[in-house]
Amino acid sequence: MTNINKKLKNESVGIGQIWNWKITAACAFILVLVGVLAISFGPIHLGFLEITKTLLGMDGLHGQERTVLLDLRLPRMILAALVGAALATSGAVYQTVFRNPLADPYLLGAASGAGLGATIAITNTGGNIYGWLPIFSFLGATLAVLTSFFISGRFFAEPNTLLLSGIAVGSFATAVQTYLQQRHSNALRPVYNWILGELTVANWSIVSWSSFYIFASLAVLISISKKLDGLLLSDEESFSLGINPNKLRMIAVAAATLATATAVSASGLIGFVGIVVPHLVRGLTHRVTNRSLATIALAGAAFLVLADLGARSILSPAELPIGVITAFVGAPFFLFVLRTRRVSHS
Amino acid sequence: MIKVNDLTVKIGGRTILNDITLDIPHGHWTCLVGPNGAGKTTFLKVLLGVREYSGSIQDDGVEVYRNHKRNVAFVPQQPEIPTGMSVAEYVSLGRSKVEGWGVESSRSRSFIEEVLIQTQLYGMHERHVAQLSGGEMQRALIARALAQEPELILLDEPTSALDLHHQISVLNNIELLKTQGVTVISTMHDITLAAMYAERIVVMHEGKVLLGGKASDVIHSAELRTAYDNRINVFTLDSGRPVIVASKEEN
Repeated sequence: MTNINKKLKNESVGIGQIWNWKITAACAFILVLVGVLAISFGPIHLGFLEITKTLLGMDGLHGQERTVLLDLRLPRMILAALVGAALATSGAVYQTVFRNPLADPYLLGAASGAGLGATIAITNTGGNIYGWLPIFSFLGATLAVLTSFFISGRFFAEPNTLLLSGIAVGSFATAVQTYLQQRHSNALRPVYNWILGELTVANWSIVSWSSFYIFASLAVLISISKKLDGLLLSDEESFSLGINPNKLRMIAVAAATLATATAVSASGLIGFVGIVVPHLVRGLTHRVTNRSLATIALAGAAFLVLADLGARSILSPAELPIGVITAFVGAPFFLFVLRTRRVSHS
Repeated sequence: MIKVNDLTVKIGGRTILNDITLDIPHGHWTCLVGPNGAGKTTFLKVLLGVREYSGSIQDDGVEVYRNHKRNVAFVPQQPEIPTGMSVAEYVSLGRSKVEGWGVESSRSRSFIEEVLIQTQLYGMHERHVAQLSGGEMQRALIARALAQEPELILLDEPTSALDLHHQISVLNNIELLKTQGVTVISTMHDITLAAMYAERIVVMHEGKVLLGGKASDVIHSAELRTAYDNRINVFTLDSGRPVIVASKEEN
């Protein structure tokens, strides 16, 4: 190294860490804080101390307050966190896999497939809508994504072909859904509510089955998160760095789709989380690396818990659909981050 | 030694590389030259091991196809440029081959700093790669390859679309790699530059290798003229350096 280079290096402050895990820890802390806020706020206010005592099995809340905490707010908060984490992480993974910052978890037809499944459940299963709805929407989302894969032929030989077939499958499912809605006009309102997303139906049964699939998918995605950075490069470049790009994409898309299908079937279509949260985390940390995936999951969880708190507080005792809140709050905040990011880099 | 035997590559029924047999020695800079469509880029990709082929390519006795044990850096002509990624983050991707994905040792960081200084990118390491000029981007690609500490580096047209100043800067960086014992294989449109930097030149034409050997021998060969349909002239400067220019008339 020349003397000039040595001098330059000695004067430098270094390149710094690419990813700082303190950010992840901070996000976990925020999630806990937001979670506590969400279970204590509402028409019936629950004190922090009582909540803690009840959760620890000590003498805390009793009667109606205890029921509100354990059977209403807690499962609802946990479901919001699970769905938020699933959608944000899937969005980030799709954006990496398709090298497209606008990709969202519903890209490959999962939303329209789930929408069709939910509509079939609502229009054909009579009384027990909420028993069948998650199953039908889960099947709809999974089938739509599998059909997109099947039509696109050689899975990832052409990622754009997969993307286009996702759009085609999505349009087809939406057309069938609209036809069914027209035939059963009484189903319009429940379908509409479901499309805007709802966590009002949260209970421990939904939490338990959805947490299984969501945790499993997130575990897979976070375990491959470091390698996912290689997919941001061309296939030849990622191969030279020791990656089998097609295999990695396949695992990533399968896990992200499972997480999305579970989230959709548990809570309907909640838009914007999958795009806003990954961009927020990446924008605020100035890092693109997928090592941020765990942080994105935590931030997504906190974002949706907060959005749900807004959804049930703003017009209390009435509720706003959560999708309205995520878009209403998310869009301006997202634009603010985009703007400040551009200013700081110009 | 990389030994290529009866190498044929077909894509969609079209023969891109046709029955190539060639030896490429390690520790040298070998440059593939030839007109557009000669198969140079495909040849680089099969040497990397990412593309299927018939025949055999053995690198020190080991078949290269899907072999992740080799440490080969690849610098494409048109790289994917990740949105929002900083230069430091981009260059650090190269370390993943040496230290594993996501590992950030202090040795790695100081190595990356040295590489950034060598490639004159230090000071702009927090800038987004998407904001770099053509010459800076090319240097960032080479910096990532340097960070990889490869045994072999494959470069696809590393100087295309660069002005003369940046061409020399990039080529000097590649030469730096060679002095560190890295085998360099590149494609290059500019045969004069190829003759100036590479020790060995391989002439390709319509998927075949017409000639491979010492740069000084190949430059004055009939095969080189044939590859370009006799539309080039080779001059020799007083310093002995060859200059190859396009000819308006067919010779």
